Amino acid sequence: MTDAALGSLEPLPIVIPVVGAVLAPVAARVSRRLPLVISVLAMAASAGVLAILCHRVYTGHLVVHYLGHVGPVDGHALGIALAADPFGLTYALLAAALGTLLVLFSLSSMRELGSHELGGYACLYQLLLAGLIGSALTADLFDLFVWFEVSALASYGLTGFFLARPFAVEAAFKILVLTTIAGFGIFIGTGLIYDTHGALNLGQIHVALGSGAHSADLVALALLVAGFATKAGIVPFHGWLPDAHTAAPGPVSALFSGLMVNLGVVAIVRLTLQVYGSAGRPVLGLVTVLGAVSAVMGAVLALAQDDLKRLLAYDTVSQMGVLLVGFANRSASGVGGATYHLINHALFKALLFLCAGSIVHATGKEKLSEMGGLARARPVTTAAFLVGAAAIAGIPPLNGYASVGLIHDALLHDEPAAYSALLVAQVVTIAALARAAYLAFFRPRASDYDDLERLHPGMLTAFLALCGGCVAFGAMPGLVIRNVVAPATAWITTSGAYASGVLARRGTLAPADVHFDYWSATELLTVVGTVAAGLLLAWWYTRHEEPRLVTGLRALHNGSVNDYTSYAAFGFVVAAGVVLIGHP
Amino acid sequence: MIVVNYLAAGGLFCIGLYVVLTHRNLIKMVMGLSVMEASTYLLLISMAYRRGSTAPVFVGPPAGRTASSLSHGGVADPVIQNFCLTAIVIGVAATAVFLTVVVRIAQHYRSLDADDVRGMRG
Repeated sequence: MTDAALGSLEPLPIVIPVVGAVLAPVAARVSRRLPLVISVLAMAASAGVLAILCHRVYTGHLVVHYLGHVGPVDGHALGIALAADPFGLTYALLAAALGTLLVLFSLSSMRELGSHELGGYACLYQLLLAGLIGSALTADLFDLFVWFEVSALASYGLTGFFLARPFAVEAAFKILVLTTIAGFGIFIGTGLIYDTHGALNLGQIHVALGSGAHSADLVALALLVAGFATKAGIVPFHGWLPDAHTAAPGPVSALFSGLMVNLGVVAIVRLTLQVYGSAGRPVLGLVTVLGAVSAVMGAVLALAQDDLKRLLAYDTVSQMGVLLVGFANRSASGVGGATYHLINHALFKALLFLCAGSIVHATGKEKLSEMGGLARARPVTTAAFLVGAAAIAGIPPLNGYASVGLIHDALLHDEPAAYSALLVAQVVTIAALARAAYLAFFRPRASDYDDLERLHPGMLTAFLALCGGCVAFGAMPGLVIRNVVAPATAWITTSGAYASGVLARRGTLAPADVHFDYWSATELLTVVGTVAAGLLLAWWYTRHEEPRLVTGLRALHNGSVNDYTSYAAFGFVVAAGVVLIGHP
Repeated sequence: MIVVNYLAAGGLFCIGLYVVLTHRNLIKMVMGLSVMEASTYLLLISMAYRRGSTAPVFVGPPAGRTASSLSHGGVADPVIQNFCLTAIVIGVAATAVFLTVVVRIAQHYRSLDADDVRGMRG
């Protein structure tokens, strides 16, 4: 197929789920099964269309399409551009494929829902995924804002969907307030950029910025980064994230944590590295600091949690921080490792949240202190949880090993401070998961559980698929790096390539040089060291009182939406201020 | 004078933010957010302003102007205005969801005080 023909397919992966979202509630009136069938078909079709683009895009080509064929004239683009680069396509494909699996899992396991609710749920789920795929493929700043808002609106609905628990509406209010404020930041940032340069097309903005950015451009970028960091749950914008994940049922948490928060990271990478490029250098330091703080603080808070899903949610905060630090490093190894880790995180975090959801569903217990002895009662879930935890810990042959190893390689020489922050975060993360695994699964429990529900075949399929993904992406790092990570890294790290490709409607890049030495002694020793330190810390933590520092950190998270908003507002002011002061 | 608009937008934004940060009544917080939202519209519409310009409608131009003089500038920037229209639509949807959630909170907690609605913490 020619590039033009391939390009004309690009709107389909977004349009199909939107159509599915409209049809699902209508179809629910006919039959209870129909919304499930429609959503699975729509998401699978979307993934299928994206798969058609794969061969061309992963061989290093940019496939660009201007809606209605209103292309750029003399470098001025008025039409809305869609551009599939390997990085965006990876995220879109991940969203569509994992989305299919999660829809299948959630709709087949939610048998207690009425047909009306089932239709609404299927609708919101597909809208959210359409928003994610749209933001991955768009090459237009305003379009990015619109897709951000589409996914945000759907996420409000999903958070507050299960009203049986009052916590759900509380969480919905928090996510509403913080995401709305994030939307203001993105909206004003977009407006500022358009006002200064008269451009919304990402390629045109890059050209207009040239090599240097004015303070107005940097403030705009800081507002955009802060806005998308709210979506990514980066400290100090993270107040909504633990609550929303705790209140939502397992499959929704898996969707939020595995896919939705990544939208923030993908947008930050696109704007700071691909659009601003060298002009955005002053903001990268800010991104690194935000990422490192999130990585450590998220991990420490995860270690202190008693609620299993809340623990995993704080771990998401930590992992998003790791991703940002990796991307902000700008080296092939850092960006490649972070791209790889983005895929891996989606797989193992979705797996862990499905495990947690299935445990909560079966036992009715949410707190680790009330669980225990589940290894005997739920062997399959235990095995799946352990696979996910080991993948985060980076134990070979699971997938976290290569991606975290690559990020560590990149930081080791250039950024010793960030490197040590990530090592600390890694140790604490391992400790948090080891503690959770011990308390929930292996600790002896005095009394037996009342009759536990059997594992649905749908759940088993999802566990198997995600565990298989964790193993496959970990056992074949060479294949993944060569075919997916290296092309994606090239498009992120080569300055101006994405922008000129969008404007010229074509572009080709050779893959970047990303190399990972699987059997290197440093990597293996790092893993052994962090795992040993993590297990020791977990052992120590379960036997001692909570340290005062942790108590203080937890006291900051007092559940008050006013306070969470003030943290976020503080973050916005600091982000803009630092960029202004740091700019000569 | 367009500077007045920018100042007004900034002032409104701060008033809205002040309400969101300091008021615990959920309805008032939603109102604060709406004020902030309105201030962003004012800011962007003011950005679209050009001195001596008219509305970006090319059919039936006002006296003394032709369609071609309008297309060579002399109109307010239509892109930003479209921008605002889209944002207003999104804002209405978000406010609707907001108020729905507030109603649900009022039903469940029998309170609109944000301090009563903080079961999840730590």
